[in-house]
Amino acid sequence: MLALAACASFAAQAPEYDLLLKGGHVVDPANGVDGIHDVAISGTRVAAVARAITARARRVVDVQGHYVVPGLVDIHAHTYGYSGALFPDDTALPAGTTTVVDAGGPGWRNFEDYRDKIVRQSKTRVLAFINIVGLGMGGDESDVDDMDPKATADKIRQYPDLIVGIKNAHFGRPGWASVERTVEAGRLSNTPVILDNNILSWTGRDTRTKVLEKMRPGDLHTHVFNDRHVEVLDRRTRQIQPFMHEARRRGVLFDLGHGGGSFLWTVADRAMSEGFPPDIISTDLHASSIMTTHSDMPNCMSKMLLLGMPLKEVIERSTAAPARAIKRFPDLGTLGQAREADVAVLDVEDGVFAFYDAWEKKRLGTKRIVNVLTVRAGEVVYDRDGRAFDEWTSSGPKVSAR
Amino acid sequence: MTRAAAVVVLVGVAAVSTPSGQVPIVYDLLLKNGRVFDAAAGTTTRADVAIAGGKIARIAPDVPSHQARTTVDVSAYYVTPGLIDLHTYVNAQRVFRDGDPRAGWRGVNADHNALRNGVTTVVDAGSTGWRTFERFKTLVVDRSRVRVLAFLNVLGAGIDEGRSAADPKDIEVQPTVEMARRHADTIVGIRSPHVKGTGLLGIERTVAAAAAIGRAALVEHLDDEDFAWPQLLLERLRPGDIVTHAFGSTTPLLDSGAISQPFAAARQRGVLFDLGHGTKGFSFHVAAPAVRHGFLPDVISTAMDKESLLLPRANMMTTLSKLLNLGVPLEQLLQRVTARPSLVIGRPELGTLREGAVADIAVIEVQQGRFGFLDASRQRLNGTQQLQTALTIREGRVVWDSKGLSRADWTTAGPYTNWR
Repeated sequence: MLALAACASFAAQAPEYDLLLKGGHVVDPANGVDGIHDVAISGTRVAAVARAITARARRVVDVQGHYVVPGLVDIHAHTYGYSGALFPDDTALPAGTTTVVDAGGPGWRNFEDYRDKIVRQSKTRVLAFINIVGLGMGGDESDVDDMDPKATADKIRQYPDLIVGIKNAHFGRPGWASVERTVEAGRLSNTPVILDNNILSWTGRDTRTKVLEKMRPGDLHTHVFNDRHVEVLDRRTRQIQPFMHEARRRGVLFDLGHGGGSFLWTVADRAMSEGFPPDIISTDLHASSIMTTHSDMPNCMSKMLLLGMPLKEVIERSTAAPARAIKRFPDLGTLGQAREADVAVLDVEDGVFAFYDAWEKKRLGTKRIVNVLTVRAGEVVYDRDGRAFDEWTSSGPKVSAR
Repeated sequence: MTRAAAVVVLVGVAAVSTPSGQVPIVYDLLLKNGRVFDAAAGTTTRADVAIAGGKIARIAPDVPSHQARTTVDVSAYYVTPGLIDLHTYVNAQRVFRDGDPRAGWRGVNADHNALRNGVTTVVDAGSTGWRTFERFKTLVVDRSRVRVLAFLNVLGAGIDEGRSAADPKDIEVQPTVEMARRHADTIVGIRSPHVKGTGLLGIERTVAAAAAIGRAALVEHLDDEDFAWPQLLLERLRPGDIVTHAFGSTTPLLDSGAISQPFAAARQRGVLFDLGHGTKGFSFHVAAPAVRHGFLPDVISTAMDKESLLLPRANMMTTLSKLLNLGVPLEQLLQRVTARPSLVIGRPELGTLREGAVADIAVIEVQQGRFGFLDASRQRLNGTQQLQTALTIREGRVVWDSKGLSRADWTTAGPYTNWR
């Protein structure tokens, strides 16, 4: 009886949660949450998402007026292997991106180097589509002889927690060899592939054959709004190519892969108004794209909002949808109970904002999505306004009596 | 008729005889009606700034818009020389395929973190020493759009994050001096070691190498050094040498609420102080009283690295905003990121807007609202003002434009395509 009483009194005093995000508008599409809720976190995990949580927490953060969403999942970024690579933390975490998937930086020959240099050094969760080329972007991406489906699949099976699939890109020779070897590696490892590949006529590759015959359901084609990579629009009628709809029905996925060259207002505007949005919002972030087009995740999301995608869908295609595509759902992309607590707190600002495409042409919009606070595995790692921390007072820090 | 007058007449004739009747375009970019900051004087005046061929061509009260290819109305903003960040960590080469595996993890991408903050010159604060500098030069300095200069570390290996202590044997003045002389256009001074292990020897040799090349030493007093602050400030450093982390929580700048005697005396004798925000160089508990006493760092720098860019947001605009909200007038802040650092690094031409100078320019907005800022100890200052960079111009080219001021609207560009 005494022990029970002690227990109860301890429970009343000790905070139940470590972190409580209070009063925000939670959008967690996978769990059907869309409204004012509190998010409670214990340790590294989501403890509860509910209306008006009253239990005490070590740190309570007022996020009224903001959207609270699962940490953003960017399935296409460049963190390794060439001079345009960006170490993820200072680009991802301020943007609310808690998971970054490197798109083809390492291959099976240098994956451990990538793991040591990037994955283990980052606060951001970093995963990878490994390149079908053994040396990844550090090798020759046109070297068919270094495209070994078996060795690639073996490496994926060795690191199932880090490698989500295979990338093939920048292939500068004709024919389907690179696509076929990549898909073969995907088949052997039971993982999706992500492809770019130019459609210049001399390559003998066309989008229709690729998306209808070469790619499997669940495979991804990137740069959906770059008309040099994907024939999304018929260039004569400006209608969506029928085979694009057919590919989508087959289960082929298309990600934005914005980057420096792959978002054109002329293509995106038409494709969106004709009903062909990207399945997944992704950045293709690298050193020059972040300077010329400012295209981090909130920027890409703002552009989708500007082109008419509803906010909830924008969030879904930046969280749950990419997590599904890399087969990490529901571990990633949701705020479900007991999931690792990766959270982004977003503001949708009103004003007049300029957004750039690959040609640095601007389009003005009246809403902009910005990230104001990022939680990674339960820890506040970015806080634009300092809202999670105590106010400084001239009387000094709160310290115990000396 | 003088030659100059003849040219004027000829230009005039050409203008009226152009078939379209248009005056020829002589400027690439015209920044119209901004508050132009005179860094040397510390004052602002309304003027137009015209840019041609990567240089500042003209600063005058009214330059006609039709003489410029692109005209930007900057009447709502300050126009300053491109900012100089004297203390940064930009050796991000480990992510490159040819990067030095010993280079460590502190370094951040220079272009991404500088240009959006109006910074057109970053000075790396000793990421590399004489053994490692040249690879840094090839992989970072030569590849960046922002101008990258460097303090050379007196430790031959520079910052080598495999080590927890500096190796006294790796501190050699002669090879350090030779490397600094070989790259005199990039190396602007000598940096003391970042890790303990060399104590006073590290400081002495940093100063000796700096003296040999006629440049400044940038030094840090590491905790529990084998020498005291007064010894460093009053005996070891020369006038013109720089002590960093001036407002750090462990820097004994204050004594019973006033500026402590050794710091006041050091300033008297010409020792310079650098803010060096970073993860330990900016505490509101030190900064607020120091500002009240009128003790500002001579140079305001970010010491930005992988860690400090996150919670303390030690980027240049946010660092300046913190001081602005502590009551430092904007002009005093701007001087300490333009004219002052340009003199400290021996590059006076970089810190001022004048005709003929390279067109490195920042256009800065002072936003009003409610803002919060964290210091290196994660305490919050509530503020009402925030600085943002609207435009950054590097060698005459717009490299950052947060508001679309200089860019064409997509509807005027025709049916463009990547297909070719």
